[in-house]
Formats: sequence, C-alpha cells, structure tokens
Amino acid sequence: MAEAETDARRLATEARDRVRFEEEVLELADQVYRVARRLVPSREEAEDLVQETYARAFRSWRSYTPGTNLRAWLMRILTNLNIDRGRREQRAPDLRPMEEGDYFLYNRLEETSGTEDEARIVERLSQDSIVDALSNVPHDFRDVIVLVDIGDFSYQDAAQILDVPIGTVMSRLHRGRRILKRELAETAVGEES
Amino acid sequence: MTFESICEKCEELLQPYLDRELSEAERQEAEAHLDDCGYCRKRYRFEVSLRRYVRSACCSEPMSAELKAKLSSLRTPLA
Repeated sequence: MAEAETDARRLATEARDRVRFEEEVLELADQVYRVARRLVPSREEAEDLVQETYARAFRSWRSYTPGTNLRAWLMRILTNLNIDRGRREQRAPDLRPMEEGDYFLYNRLEETSGTEDEARIVERLSQDSIVDALSNVPHDFRDVIVLVDIGDFSYQDAAQILDVPIGTVMSRLHRGRRILKRELAETAVGEES
Repeated sequence: MTFESICEKCEELLQPYLDRELSEAERQEAEAHLDDCGYCRKRYRFEVSLRRYVRSACCSEPMSAELKAKLSSLRTPLA
C-alpha cells in the first residue's frame, strides 16, 4: 500500500515537472523561430524545423537538467536537426580574399555617401538587402552570426550549441561578419556605381 | 605605439567589445581609445547602428499563430 502511494506521488511529481518544462519551452518559441528563420532559406522550412525541434524537446525532456540554460539546450536540438536533415544548402566554400578590416563597410559607404553621419549612412542599406546578404554568407559562418547577433548567445553558449571549440566560434564570427559586410557593400555601393 | 596602430588594435577589439567578450583590461583599453579618437568612435557608432539594423531586419517576421498552436498541440497529453 505504501509502495503504491510512493509510486503515485512520484508520478504526480514527474507530471508536474513535465508540464512546467513544456510551458517554459513554449515561452521560448518566438526566439527559437527567429533563429530558425535565419538558418534556413524559407518560412516553410523554418516552421518545419521548429516543429521537429519541439517534438524532439518534448520527447526528450528528461535529458534536460533543470537550472541549466534551456534556450541553449533547445538551440542545440535545432541546430543538430538542421544538420541531420540535410537542410543545409550545398555551397562552394567562400575562397574570396577577406576585406582588410572591420571598418571596411563604413569606409566604403562613407566615401560614396557624401555624409559623415553614421545613422544616415546605415540607412542606405535596405532591410531586404540585409536579409539577402545574410543568406549569402556560407552556413558555417552564418550559424554563428545568427546565434550571437540574433539569438543573443555568448561565445561559450554558441560553442556548446554547435559543439565546436570557442576559438572556432570566434574565428567564424570574425570571418562571417566580414563576409556579411562585403555582401552589404556590394549591394549598397555596387548598385549605384 | 602610433595612433594609427592603436586604431588598428581598436578595430580588432571592436566586435568582441560589442559582444561584451573582452577581458577587463582589453575593455578599458578599447574604451580609453574610443574616448580619445573621433575616427574610431564614428565607426563604433556605425557598428552599433548596423547591429541594431541587422537585428530588426532579421526579426521582423513573427511566428504565425498556426505554428504556435501546432507547437502547443505537440505537448504530452495529460493522463
């Protein structure tokens, strides 16, 4: 009799923990979708990816350690599924030389703008051109930019999510942002010249 | 160190500075230079605007209500 009561209590505790877990995971859905939307090319693929992520998260809720970073745990499922499902477009590696430095985009825009007002200079870039430029960044670099710049993850979290050393996150971010700037410069300055 | 080479160093530190990933000593070095150097400060402000702009461009499309409903329906049914 006592054993049955202990079992019932254990099941009740587990059910309560699971409900709480599911509610916390659902509260993060907008953030998960934002990241997914920039990792894959279309809205439909992003929606599929998020659904699969949630189906897997709900199934494997016991593997989450309470008190650890739930958002990073979810993103790890998402990025792994994205790799596993072969959603990533195949693309030749970007072998073009890197631009000289981080000030490159500002310098290019300033010299063709006739203004030194940095707020007006940034407005020369259209929102569509930014989305296009990001989608042109090769996926290894883009994944890191999306996690850090859009997902607000630290380098350490991004390293754990992608299962790469932190030095790799830093070097991909460094190169990825420069590729993004080169793409933006080509759109903004290239179209006008 | 010449001012130009300090600017080059600042250029290298700018992204990790914006990411809040510099050590305390590097952060102080970057901030001291940004206080003194209009050339780098202008580029710093541009980077801040660019990041905000990239984020708003990439986050402008909200998740659909249908997807939200689908995610809720994936929850384990209560026994």
